[in-house]
Amino acid sequence: MEPPYKILVVDDEPDLEPLMLQRMRRHIRAGKYTFVFAQNGVEALERLSAEDDIDMVLSDINMPRMDGLTLLDQIPKVDPNIRSVIVSAYGDMKNIRTAMNRGAFDFVTKPLDFADLQITIDRTLSHMTEWREALSSRDKLVALQNELNVASQIQQSILPTEFPKGSGYEIYASMEPARNVGGDFFDVLTLDAGMVGLAIADVSDKGVPAALFMMSSRTLLKGSAIGIGEPGQVLSEVNDLLHEDNDTGMFVTILYAVYSSSTGELTYANGGHNSPLLVHADGTSSLLPLTGGIALGVVPELEYQQQTVRLAPGEFVFLYTDGVTEAMNAEGEEFGVERLQDVFAAGPPEDPKAANEAVFEAVSEFAGDTDQSDDITCLAIYRSES
Amino acid sequence: MGVTTERQDNTLIAKTDGRIDGANAREFQDALDAAIDSSERAVVLDLEEVSYISSAGLRVILLTAKSLQKQDAKFAVCSLSESIREIFEISGFDQIIAVHDSRQEAIDVLKN
Repeated sequence: MEPPYKILVVDDEPDLEPLMLQRMRRHIRAGKYTFVFAQNGVEALERLSAEDDIDMVLSDINMPRMDGLTLLDQIPKVDPNIRSVIVSAYGDMKNIRTAMNRGAFDFVTKPLDFADLQITIDRTLSHMTEWREALSSRDKLVALQNELNVASQIQQSILPTEFPKGSGYEIYASMEPARNVGGDFFDVLTLDAGMVGLAIADVSDKGVPAALFMMSSRTLLKGSAIGIGEPGQVLSEVNDLLHEDNDTGMFVTILYAVYSSSTGELTYANGGHNSPLLVHADGTSSLLPLTGGIALGVVPELEYQQQTVRLAPGEFVFLYTDGVTEAMNAEGEEFGVERLQDVFAAGPPEDPKAANEAVFEAVSEFAGDTDQSDDITCLAIYRSES
Repeated sequence: MGVTTERQDNTLIAKTDGRIDGANAREFQDALDAAIDSSERAVVLDLEEVSYISSAGLRVILLTAKSLQKQDAKFAVCSLSESIREIFEISGFDQIIAVHDSRQEAIDVLKN
């Protein structure tokens, strides 16, 4: 909102117009104010409807056809953001109070003191400016929030919802996003010769930069996984690609594994990610050994060691992000690996979907009303009994 | 997220406390940037009083390490609690950032 500010003066006294223009002439000439005039409330409303650039109203109370108090009631229907100042008889507290109750911003008394009037006008306009700025920031914030929601939806839409179901194994994965745009993702890739690629990842930090980094990580990983195959080499290539031009300090922890349906062997390489759990048929479990890999995107030309674990029929490997183990309750305690192991010990899950659901339920119950601050992602692969 | 500093044997020791997560990582970064002058030759970040660090916090430490490397300064973290040490180990950050058990150990190593 910039000068000249347009002020609508409403008064049935015909002498007021020349007087106002005369007393305010310096400000008018300086380009600070322009004035328009109406004789009563009806005319004022007509002008307000016709001209949408009026910034404030200065109105008398007693006028024919429509008085100032009725006008105050009507103005918000035309434009809720216009501020009004009422001109009342000196000491007429009853009308002043009614005017304020009806939303007048301020009042001045007759006979008009033009110096005081000018101060009142300036204060009203300055309030108006701040109000409009606040409105516009709010609108921008809402727009930004909408965009973040869209970004979050796009992120989730690229996650697989259907999983390959080969002979002898089952896979299920899901993510519960935190309120902000986060950086978890998972992927399940059908490779050649009965092999399945499994990835779980967590990008540092949250928000739009993390979302962009997550998208490129996921695409690069998929490309490398299909082209190369060996988990250690896949991480090594993705690491180099992510490291190029990365001066933001962003990084991503990725665990990439390839499962062979013919042998039940899972070969994995771990780039700074939480150790998966190997869950035995009786519900007991152990952490798979770390492979000493560094989170991706930080240091170039790294080699990633890989390890192989053989799943016995009835066994699971459970991959997760730190949204699970670092979920907090009201006391500030973390969910932790032990509680995760307890979930499976309490009742060995029937299938990967049941495993995921049991973990999500346990985390949610543990956290109670505490806000979920991080994405929670789980991926389970199960080797069938037969 | 305050960062306090002191100096010992030409080494700047920066210390903070509490949780470093997505909510205050930016504040932590600004405080750390303000505390570390471009003329510093050796900086130790004391994490003794830090109870939790998320990946957003690790990123700040990484950026600090990188910018110190650019100005040819040495950098180390020290006095990690067991859970913080675990986070460094899992993410592999202990392989790219020097981790020492105590402040004195860090200062002694950086001196040489």
